[in-house]
Amino acid sequence: MSGAGAIARVVVVGGGITAWSAAAALKRRIPILDVQVVSSPPPPDALADRMINTLPSIGDFHSDIGLSDEDTIVRARSGLRIGTTFKAWAENLPDYIHAYGNYGVPVGGVAFHQLWLRDHYPHGRPFDSFAPAPPQVGYGLRLTTELYQQLMRDYSHHLGVVERPGEVVDANLGGADGFVEALLLADGTQIGADLFVDCTGPAALVRSRLGDGFDDWSRLLLCDRVVIEADQPDADPPLLDEVAATSAGWIWRSSSPSVAVKGSVFSSAHGADSDGAIPLRQGRRSEPWVRNCVAIGDAAVTVEPLEWTNLHLAHSQIDRLVSMMPDAGFAPVELAEYNRQCNAEADRVRDFLCMHYVTAQRTEPFWKDASAVEPPSSLAHTLSLFAERGRLPYYEEETFARDSWLAVLLGQGFLPRRIDPLADSVTPQEAERALSSRRQPLAQAQPSYRGTFLQMGQGQQP
Amino acid sequence: MGDQPKLSVVVVGGGTAGWMAAAALTTLLPTRCSVTLIESEAIGIVGVGEATLPHIRGFNERLGINEAEFMAATRATFKLGIEFQGWGRIGDSYIHPFGTFGSGQGDIPFHQYWCRLRDQGAQVAPLGEYSMAVAMAYMNRFARPEPDPARIESTFNYAYQFDATLFAPFLRSIAERLGAVRIEGRIVEVQLNGESGDVAALLLEDGRSIGGDLFIDCSGFVSLVIGRALGEPFEDWSHWLPCDRAVAMPCRTETALTPYTSAIAMPAGWRWRIPLQHRTGNGYVYASNFISDDEARSALVGAVEGEGIAEPRVLKFTAGRRTRSWVRNCVAVGLASGFLEPLESTSIYLIQAAISALVELFPDGEISPLDRDEFNRLIDMEYDRIRDFLILHYHATERSDSPFWDYVRTMTVPDTLEEKIELFRRRGRVVKYREGVFLDASWVAVYMGQRIIPEGHDMRADLPPLDALALSADALRAEISAKAARMPDHRSHVEAYCPMAAAA
Repeated sequence: MSGAGAIARVVVVGGGITAWSAAAALKRRIPILDVQVVSSPPPPDALADRMINTLPSIGDFHSDIGLSDEDTIVRARSGLRIGTTFKAWAENLPDYIHAYGNYGVPVGGVAFHQLWLRDHYPHGRPFDSFAPAPPQVGYGLRLTTELYQQLMRDYSHHLGVVERPGEVVDANLGGADGFVEALLLADGTQIGADLFVDCTGPAALVRSRLGDGFDDWSRLLLCDRVVIEADQPDADPPLLDEVAATSAGWIWRSSSPSVAVKGSVFSSAHGADSDGAIPLRQGRRSEPWVRNCVAIGDAAVTVEPLEWTNLHLAHSQIDRLVSMMPDAGFAPVELAEYNRQCNAEADRVRDFLCMHYVTAQRTEPFWKDASAVEPPSSLAHTLSLFAERGRLPYYEEETFARDSWLAVLLGQGFLPRRIDPLADSVTPQEAERALSSRRQPLAQAQPSYRGTFLQMGQGQQP
Repeated sequence: MGDQPKLSVVVVGGGTAGWMAAAALTTLLPTRCSVTLIESEAIGIVGVGEATLPHIRGFNERLGINEAEFMAATRATFKLGIEFQGWGRIGDSYIHPFGTFGSGQGDIPFHQYWCRLRDQGAQVAPLGEYSMAVAMAYMNRFARPEPDPARIESTFNYAYQFDATLFAPFLRSIAERLGAVRIEGRIVEVQLNGESGDVAALLLEDGRSIGGDLFIDCSGFVSLVIGRALGEPFEDWSHWLPCDRAVAMPCRTETALTPYTSAIAMPAGWRWRIPLQHRTGNGYVYASNFISDDEARSALVGAVEGEGIAEPRVLKFTAGRRTRSWVRNCVAVGLASGFLEPLESTSIYLIQAAISALVELFPDGEISPLDRDEFNRLIDMEYDRIRDFLILHYHATERSDSPFWDYVRTMTVPDTLEEKIELFRRRGRVVKYREGVFLDASWVAVYMGQRIIPEGHDMRADLPPLDALALSADALRAEISAKAARMPDHRSHVEAYCPMAAAA
C-alpha cells in the first residue's frame, strides 16, 4: 500500500436522518472506526432528511445495521406503504398504480407484459390490475421523521458514536495535497479527522470547499420548487400514496397514523410561485468523493421527491462508503470507482424521473415543455428499445426494477410498436392459467394499514 | 400480430454455430421463420469449443435437450472449472472454479476474510481449498449441485467437455425434425441487392441460387457474408492477445478422467488438455512471432500424455471481432463474427449469446435499425469483457523466461483492465458488472492464482474475532474436503449416467 495506514477517525457533519444513519452504519459495520458527529439541525432543503415516504430498500438498510421492525416501525411509529397511485399524468387514461414488486408472472420464459399487451390491451384488464399485492409486495416506510431521526441518533450513541453539537463555519485545507485537515466550528473549535462525511444538504458545507463541479439536471427536470406542509393524519391510511399532476408540477399527500404531510412540486417558470417554497436545483455533484471528503444524501444528489428516492440514494451511498472504505491514502483509483457507481445510480434515478415527464400526456405549457426535453442518451436508448418491442435494457446500478419502469410506461400509455416474437410460444389460455394464482387485483386485496401491520409484525405486535 | 408471413432465414455454414442457430430458431420461433442451412461436406469444421461454460446448460434446457442423451452422443464429461498451470510463475497451479469461494453466504466475499487471516498472521490454506468446486475437481469427483443454498454442495455449477464435431450432428437432428432444410453445396458467390445493398441470394457451385430475408453467417474464419461480401471491418486485438495459431492433436487418455480442463502455460503460449470419454483433446495455442509451426508441433507432440490418434493440425486466426456483428440483413454468429482464443472456453458461449440476442430481437418483416444496434451493443459488450479477462491471464505474470512472456508481462493493457487490477491489488475489490459472463469469483480466482494478492482487505472483514474466524475457516475447509471425498468418482458417474455408444 501507499503506507498511508488505515482510516481511524471519521467525522460526520450534519444532524439529520442522513447524518445519523451514516454514523450508525459506519460504527456498526466497521466498529474499529472512531466516529464523531458534528451536529446541527438539517437545513429545510435537505429532502432526504425531511421526506416521510421511503422505498422498500430501507428495510435492507435497517437489517444491515442491526435494527429490527420493532425498532424502526413500532418504536419510531412508522407507517407502511407499498407504492404510489399516479393521478392525471396522462389525460384520458385512468389513474395507475406503481407498486413495488412483480406485475403478473412470466410464462414459459416470456415476460408478463408481453403477454398482457397481446391478451389484455386495450380491452382487457389494465396492467396495474396485475400489480403485486400483499404479501408479495415490497414495503417502504412512512417515517415520523422526528422520531426516526431520534432513533438513529440514540442508536448511534449506543454504538459509541460521539456527538459534538456545533455549526461548521469553515474547513481548513491542508498544504499541497488539498486534504481537509480540520473543521472550524462557530465557537472556534477545530475538529480534525482522517475522513469527513458531508451530510449537510445541498449546500455541502465541507465538500463544496474542494470544488463545486455540478451536473445540472434542470434542463431535464423542470420543477424547481418544493412545498412541504403538515397535515391531519388519517386513522387508517391507505397503503398507496397519491401523486397528482397539476398544471405546472404535481402534488402529493401521504399519511401514517402518526403523521401526515401534503406537498407540491412545481416549476416557478410555469406558474405562480408560493411563499415558503423551497428552491430546488436538481442535479448531482460531478464527483461526490474528493480526497478525504465524501458528500452523502442531498449533498451529493438533489432531486425532486417524485418516486421518493431521496433517502434511498443516501442509504445506497452509505452502503457503498462502508463497503468501499479505502485507506488514509485515498487513492484516486478507489475514489473514482466509488464515484462511478454513485453517479451511475443517480443518473438512472434521473432517467426514471425524467421518463415520467417525457411520457406524460397533458397539454398545459409546463407539460408540453417537460415532455419535449431531449432525454439523456441512456434514457433515449431505454425509451427507443421499449417503443420498438417492449424491451428494457439493463443499466448498471439501477434503482428501479423492470416492473417499476413498466408500471409507469404502460400506465401512461407509452406502448411498444410490437411484441416479443417469443410470445408466440405461449397461448392465451396458458398465460391465463399461469395468472390464476395471482387473480386478486391489488385494489381489492389491499388490506387496511393495521391488517398488514399485524401480519408483518408476526407476533411482535405493537 | 402473429399473422405476418414467416421470415426466410438462411444459415450459412453447418458447424457448431450453424446448427446451434438452426436448432434454436426452429425450436423457439417456429411461427416466425423458416430455416434453410447450407453446408458443404467438402469444407471441414473447426470444431472449436470442446470445453464449455455452465451457460450451455441453459441453452440445452431451452431446446428441451435431455442431458444424458446429449452427453452420450457427444461423448461428454463434466467440467467443474479450468486448471491453470504455470501462469503466474513456472510451477504455479490453480483452478478457476465454476463456483464460489467459501459458503457463498454472508455480507462480504470470502476472499476478504482469507486476506484478513493472512494479514494478521493466522494460518491459511491456499484459497482453492475453501472452494467446493476446486476440492471436487482435484479429487476427481462429481455430483450434481444441491438446490438448498444453505448447503456447501450448492456452491458450484458445472459445464461439459464434449466432442464439438459430434455436437453439430446432434443439433442437426433436432433442427431437421423441426423443419430446417439442409442444402448440401458450396457457396461461390454472395449476391447483393443492387439498390439496398442487402444480401439477396447465395449462388452455389451447382448453379442453384438460395434467396432469403435474413442471412446468418456461420461460415467460420472465412466470414463469407459479413466479412467478404459486406466488407465489415475486423478489429484486430492481437497486440493484446498475440497468439495467432493453434496446433491440435487428440490422444488416448492415459491418466485420470478429470472433471476439469487444463490450460498449461508454454514458452510461447499455452496448451489445452480436455478429457472426453473416448479421448483427450490437446492443442498448443501459440504466437507465431515467437515460435515456428514446427517447433510448436514438436512441443505439443512431446507434451501430450498418450499415444496420438490423429496427425497434428494447424489452425490460424487473429484475435478480435468484426466492428459490428449484425450488418444489413446479415447476422454473424461464431467465428465469422470474431475470435477469442479458447483459454476460458468462451467460443460456444459467444455463439449462444449471439443466438439469444437474435431470438430476442428477431425481426418481423423489416429489420429495425434499433434492434440491430441493440444486438451489436450486447455482442460488443460480451466480446470486450471477455477480452479483458483473457488479457488478465497473460499480463498477471512474473514469468520472464521467454520473449513471449516478457512481451505480455510488459505490454500496455486497456485502461478498463488496468483499473480493475489496481482495485484488486489494493484491497481485493472486484469491479462488478451486471451482465458479464464471468462473475466475481472468476476474477478472484485468476487474480489470486496469478499472484495479484491484495495488499489490504475490506475493513468489514475485521468484524469477527480473529480466533473465531480462523476456526470457522478451518471448519469450512474440513467440511468441503469431507463432502467432496464422499462424492462419486467422476469416471464412474459418467459411465453410469451417460455412457457413449460404442464407436460406429
